[in-house]
Amino acid sequence: MKLDVFKINGMTCAACAKTVERVTGKLAGVTQSSVNFATEKLHITYDEAKLTVADIKKAVSKAGYEALEEVNAKEVSIPIQGMTCAACAKTIERVVGKLNGIESVVVNFATEKANIKYNPTAVRLSEIKQAIAKAGYKALEIQNETRVDEDKRRKEKEIRILWAKFIVAALFAAPLLYIAMAPMIWWLRWPTPAWLNPMQYPLIYALVQIGLVIPVVIAGYRFYTVGFKAILRRSPNMDSLIAMGTAAAIGYSLYSTYRIFNTDFKYVNDLYFETAGVILTLILLGKSLEAVSKGRTSEAIKKLMGLAPKTAIVIHVDQEIEIPIEEVEVGDIIVVKPGEKIPVDGEVVEGLTSVDESMLTGESIPVEKKAGDKVYGASLNKNGSIRFKATKVGSETALSQIIKLVEQAQGSKAPIAQMADIVSGYFVPVVFGIAILAALAWYISGQSVVFSLTIFIAVLVIACPCALGLATPTAIMVGTGKGAEYGVLFKGGEALETTHKVKTIVFDKTGTITEGRPEVTDIITTDLVGRNKLFQLAASAEKGSEHPLGEAIVRGADQEGLALIKPDTFNALPGRGIEAEIEGKSLLLGNDKLMAEKQIEITNLGDQSDRLALEGKTPMYIAIDNKLAGIIAVADVIKESSAKAIRRLHEMGIEVAMITGDNRRTAQAIAKQVGIDRVLAEVLPQDKANEVKKLQAEGKKVAMVGDGINDAPALAQADIGIAIGSGTDVAMESADIVLMRSDLMDVPTAIQLSKRTIRNIKQNLFWAFGYNVAGIPIAAGLLYAFGGPLLSPIFAAAAMSLSSVSVLTNALRLKGFKPYK
Amino acid sequence: MKFKKIAILFKSLLVISVLAIFPVVVNALSLDVVAKVAVTSFEAVIKAIPDKVTFDGAKEGWAIKGLDGKDRIIISKDFSSKNPDISLELDAAPFIKAGLDVAKLPVAKYIYDGAAGKITLPFTYGQAKFGAAAQKSALETFKQIVKNHRDLIGYHEILDHYGIALGDGNMFEWAKDLRTNDKDIVFVLNPEPFINAGVDPGKITEWVFAKVDIKDKDGKPIKVDKFLKPFNVK
Repeated sequence: MKLDVFKINGMTCAACAKTVERVTGKLAGVTQSSVNFATEKLHITYDEAKLTVADIKKAVSKAGYEALEEVNAKEVSIPIQGMTCAACAKTIERVVGKLNGIESVVVNFATEKANIKYNPTAVRLSEIKQAIAKAGYKALEIQNETRVDEDKRRKEKEIRILWAKFIVAALFAAPLLYIAMAPMIWWLRWPTPAWLNPMQYPLIYALVQIGLVIPVVIAGYRFYTVGFKAILRRSPNMDSLIAMGTAAAIGYSLYSTYRIFNTDFKYVNDLYFETAGVILTLILLGKSLEAVSKGRTSEAIKKLMGLAPKTAIVIHVDQEIEIPIEEVEVGDIIVVKPGEKIPVDGEVVEGLTSVDESMLTGESIPVEKKAGDKVYGASLNKNGSIRFKATKVGSETALSQIIKLVEQAQGSKAPIAQMADIVSGYFVPVVFGIAILAALAWYISGQSVVFSLTIFIAVLVIACPCALGLATPTAIMVGTGKGAEYGVLFKGGEALETTHKVKTIVFDKTGTITEGRPEVTDIITTDLVGRNKLFQLAASAEKGSEHPLGEAIVRGADQEGLALIKPDTFNALPGRGIEAEIEGKSLLLGNDKLMAEKQIEITNLGDQSDRLALEGKTPMYIAIDNKLAGIIAVADVIKESSAKAIRRLHEMGIEVAMITGDNRRTAQAIAKQVGIDRVLAEVLPQDKANEVKKLQAEGKKVAMVGDGINDAPALAQADIGIAIGSGTDVAMESADIVLMRSDLMDVPTAIQLSKRTIRNIKQNLFWAFGYNVAGIPIAAGLLYAFGGPLLSPIFAAAAMSLSSVSVLTNALRLKGFKPYK
Repeated sequence: MKFKKIAILFKSLLVISVLAIFPVVVNALSLDVVAKVAVTSFEAVIKAIPDKVTFDGAKEGWAIKGLDGKDRIIISKDFSSKNPDISLELDAAPFIKAGLDVAKLPVAKYIYDGAAGKITLPFTYGQAKFGAAAQKSALETFKQIVKNHRDLIGYHEILDHYGIALGDGNMFEWAKDLRTNDKDIVFVLNPEPFINAGVDPGKITEWVFAKVDIKDKDGKPIKVDKFLKPFNVK
């Protein structure tokens, strides 16, 4: 199975998105097809053996749209050495042009440069250079490289064209409206030339209007080509409504002109060219504003993409050389001076500095970095010069992963969007029906053809479902983008939606509520061995352990300078402890469960253990050759933000639970300190998911917050899994939300953002639905039937355009989101 | 910047030229359907009442009488002559019977001929010289009016009438289509000067005192009082 993303051109409303989904979903081998109207992207999962990209493009094209592969083409200018004549340039063009993935290649013999546009997923730069070398020339170091964001260019071009069309339409629609309205709003005394007096020169009056409406129709011709095509395909869309409405107005006006030509001058009152012209102009204005606003919803991604520096200074043969960031390879030693951005991910090998990682984590306090510490691309080196070894480049860097995650989330659909999608699918045909029925009803009731036509046009124009199609995806795009800004990465629209429903949050203790770097606090021995020997044996046994408690013992012994002994055997017993053999002695280290299991009497240290647990420390029994040898207590520091975050969650009405493998007393002691409501202690890692399941069985939406590695099953079981970590080493796969920082305050932030986004979506849907629900009956003449006013199709068009803009503006309000501090 | 200014200037000149040339194009292409139909309908009316259309040698114009033979409109065969371009000649009797004090009518605009029992309303529009062809028939003379004084000709949508707006609220109208209209010729008078001169509209005979829907110079729809004398020529 392959997942491909296509850019879909030509969609104008949610009904278009539905059509593309439907036609691609029907293709053989397609398992999933989803179109996001706001991002204009098709995410399609299909069997490559049954379906090709060309098939998908063909199906989309047949439906009246254009599918373009998501390709971030690169442009590169390679200086070439060794060319002696124009034929050399031709040769290079030929050999490079033959490579797969080359979009264009132009070699300039005079400047000795090859300008190449290529698809980096199909061909590597090194392959291009090899091909040049094989042809007998030398490709020198690249002087510059420009990343061409085709999508951005296309979008900007689209906005420019839309504005140009709107300006042309407005230039002609304004005088059209003027001459059409002047006789009607006589009290304004708008001057008009005598030859445009409708009663004196009706045919000229009509012909001038035709002359003015033609450019407007040309500016909006797409509504007709797409709209009528969609009607013929029996899948009418927003364009169909506009096309039908304005075509009806123009058609009837042309008929009136014909009647005027045949001396039936009364028909001068039945000209509706200005209605069509103004409707098209207003829709073009709406579409232009919509395109601009849509662009703003994806600003977060653009901001993220712009974070990475363009070049890096690497050490090459003891010299510092500046190369494009794309040329950096794993293992390169990179120099970063104060004030410069770190180009890729890596590990500091030399120097001491502090780094501002706020652009990635949202954490504003700079982080101290020394040799051995990890640094991340796009973060800012503050005050020291460092050298680091590149460990992750290109799409592997943390920044690239974040961008990918945010892009995926922005392209995904929330369950709430499904309702809008279903409604949009049926909406247009239903509106057509309503428009015809309303017009017929008025005509049968004795109204004129003109009146019925006005009703027909107004209903078609006001009922455009574009606001409906934009309501959810725009809010999700802004919401997820805003989350990324604060280091809260939602992995999809569903996660963003479900989070606001969470009623119970289960926190993992170690590394989540606590810092995750416990320290040895107490060592109690029996008469079996001395303190240091016990400590040495315990640390030696834990040497191979990855458990934070084990690591604390090893670290403690290390600090005391105790030499560790290599254990003969080692076995981790999840949820209980470890067993090992050292110097021929069997050693058990773990909790009371392990001791009970191995039938080791612990009662003589029971009181001590209880005391330590009540102090919030984790006591671990040590038995040597099945005899109790002592207790090593380890305590972890509670994070500064834990209590505050839990307090905030309580304020939000959320129950907070803590899950831990630790003994109950220790867990309760920690819980008391931070204000946890419910303690799930002594839970084996494999049982954590079950505990979550039990909470879910109580009918609650449960979120699980963990470090994302040990807690993976529980994270997956929870309605919302929240992985907390640095963003690089978290298990992103099992979580729904990834918190870039280790600050627990980001949990309420995620819920707060989810609530705000969902509220925004609901507001958008309310306005979009409400607008249509209220607008259609008014346009159909309901108010008029009860003595009220009749909605002019022009006002219907203005209202329709404003509805999309208002929905987008409302979604953009989310940009002002600020987390609770 | 300079190029932009030149472009704007050029475009403005283009628009002005189009606006200026438009009436010429309109004329050449016969797009003035109101004028065209005004001529054809006028022709139909005068053909329907041939005995009522005569040439008045004294006034050097074509005279069209109402079917009762009491009132007539006289259209000068040449607006450059010394005679009024168009004049309305009314039988004074119904007005006098209704209380008209002829001395109170505006001087020069209303000329009372006691001997003939007529009130004449003369109208002058300019010095347009009609060609010899205009003198051949009332229709040809009317064509000259359409050509030289198009603004006098109008279409009255509510009554489906064409008319000559004589001035001061007085008109001469005829039906666009004789087959469908029962008011084929209508003499329309502004009653105000008559009422000011003592006419009691309630007592007027032969004429109808009525409110008529029209549009004022700004296009505002208004109702105005008129004395009407309609004739059905069928």
